[in-house]
Amino acid sequence: MSLLAIKNLSARVEEKDILKNFNLTVNPGEVHAIMGPNGSGKSTLASVLAGNESYEVTGGEVDFDGKDLLDMAPEERAREGLFLAFQYPVEIPGVSNVNFMKAAVTEVRKHRGLEPLVAKDFLAYMKEKKELVELDGKLAGRSVNEGFSGGEKKRNEIFQMAMLDPKLGILDETDSGLDIDALRIVANGVNKLRSKDNAFVVITHYQRLLDYIIPDFVHVLYNGQIVRSGTKELALELEEKGYDWIKDELAEA
Amino acid sequence: MSEAITTSILSELVSGAKRPASYKEIRSEAEGFLAESGIPSKKHEDWKYTNIKRLFDNGLNFTPANDITFNSVEGVEISWCTDVETQCIASQQIGTTVIHTKEAHAALNTSLFEKALVIRVKKGTQVTDDLVLNQTINLEDNNFSASRVLIVVEDNALLKCQHHYTGSPSSSSLLNNLTEVFVGQNARLELNYVQEIGEGNMMTTTQVECQRDSNFTTNCIQLGGSLLRNNVNISLKGENIETHLNGFYMLNGKELYDNHTLVDHLVPHCESNEIYRGILAGKSTGVFNGKVFVHRDAQKTNGYQSNNNILLSDDATMNSKPELEIYADDVKCSHGSTTGQLDEDAVFYLRARGLDEFGATALLLTAFASDVLNSITNEELREMLEEKIQAKLKEMRG
Repeated sequence: MSLLAIKNLSARVEEKDILKNFNLTVNPGEVHAIMGPNGSGKSTLASVLAGNESYEVTGGEVDFDGKDLLDMAPEERAREGLFLAFQYPVEIPGVSNVNFMKAAVTEVRKHRGLEPLVAKDFLAYMKEKKELVELDGKLAGRSVNEGFSGGEKKRNEIFQMAMLDPKLGILDETDSGLDIDALRIVANGVNKLRSKDNAFVVITHYQRLLDYIIPDFVHVLYNGQIVRSGTKELALELEEKGYDWIKDELAEA
Repeated sequence: MSEAITTSILSELVSGAKRPASYKEIRSEAEGFLAESGIPSKKHEDWKYTNIKRLFDNGLNFTPANDITFNSVEGVEISWCTDVETQCIASQQIGTTVIHTKEAHAALNTSLFEKALVIRVKKGTQVTDDLVLNQTINLEDNNFSASRVLIVVEDNALLKCQHHYTGSPSSSSLLNNLTEVFVGQNARLELNYVQEIGEGNMMTTTQVECQRDSNFTTNCIQLGGSLLRNNVNISLKGENIETHLNGFYMLNGKELYDNHTLVDHLVPHCESNEIYRGILAGKSTGVFNGKVFVHRDAQKTNGYQSNNNILLSDDATMNSKPELEIYADDVKCSHGSTTGQLDEDAVFYLRARGLDEFGATALLLTAFASDVLNSITNEELREMLEEKIQAKLKEMRG
């Protein structure tokens, strides 16, 4: 059974139609890359899946692990195992990373019928996950994302993903603006989390990330729809030729 | 006109009082001032948003103040004083700050209080445990009472004090409190207020005089009351004083809280920090008026002031007026005020990690309060307040 099945999904923001009958199926164990030029609807897709209420779903359905995703509040989606690594992680002054993660992990565990971790076990768990993304120990005590560099924010997203152990991780341009070291760390984190039971949707503007996270499928999103799907070779082709050839082909057709 | 009104109100109040014959001098000074100033009305700039006069206009009957209870703490001398002679335990006198000749509700208090709770920490004494004052207010309809406190922390001494106002007084009653505070040379005082009086009304003044090298912190947490008016005035009289005055308030329904503060920088090399934060829901109204006054001699002053508010409803109103008045030319002062809504992006971010909407909101608002709460050093008190804040938040979200 598929983990995520998106059928004819349409969505708009501020009266503007962005996604138009979008379709995608993701099975456990798979990594899908979604590429496309600016404004094609990549981030809208991520936001709609996570339940951002600024976006209005105007049609279609999304099945997530046998459940109606669009019917769930954002927190229910998270507890069911959907994780969005934000393109622009939000700074939250006054809330420490530790307290934030404690609250989040407790909620997710509760949903899975598990008791909260005692302080000692939680800290050990957190230490293990921190090492996964080479996150500086000091960042844990600081306010969420406040004063973090761009790379630290993105690493913090992957760290949170590791903490919450989702079934489906959606990375919304996690690679944009990262230097090569940060990119390697972020990609390694994702690779270590990959298993036959979970899946990832990697939204990116650049092919570079896909040298580190090898996708099973690459899709090109343009004007709210997937206009081409292939394997990782498609990404290389896009990198070389840019997106214009796809636009031209579509214009001809 | 104002004279007639005030005198009649005052004589009415006094007629019900078993006012002792003591403190004659300061009482007559206070009454003299009151006769001139009148009961503050919305025509007074300082009372623009806060109508206290309506309580007087309905007629108030004087009633003795409920006792303030307190714990016994090593190093603290504490007793009730009813006249100048018995207040010998303190090295400062009731009324020394002369605020009763400057401010109407301090004058009212001085005219009418029966006895004062006098607290003294002797030179060099480091008090380790918190002194906890509990004032339960159970005033009935149209009752008025005046409570009075004097805190003297002598040179090189240290005290941490909590003053809790609780109870369920009538919504037509009024409590008036005046606390005079003296912080000696190189002394330290942390004074924490918790105000949670249901539907009651309260007007209080805290009048503080600090001497050189001292450190004074006050945190005022307001969680319940129909009308709460707090004046905090701090006079920095010696060099190298560090002072922090903070407030956190949560308003719901038709509550009105009004905080007026004044930091008076009289001499050079002092530092004052002020953080007032509030959350307003329902049809509540908040007022913040903070003034930092830097006199010509007060060079090298560091003055920082901020007031930030979050409105949880469209019908809540915040009136914020931070003021700097600077007559020295070599100072570092800043102030700022913000009033806005809860950051929806942050709420979504937290929900996307599994917290429900209330949990996310509560976490953000608790964080918003934390800059004030963190300056309370007593962990137990801080935790108790965090719980109370959560409870009031639930109430606000209906």
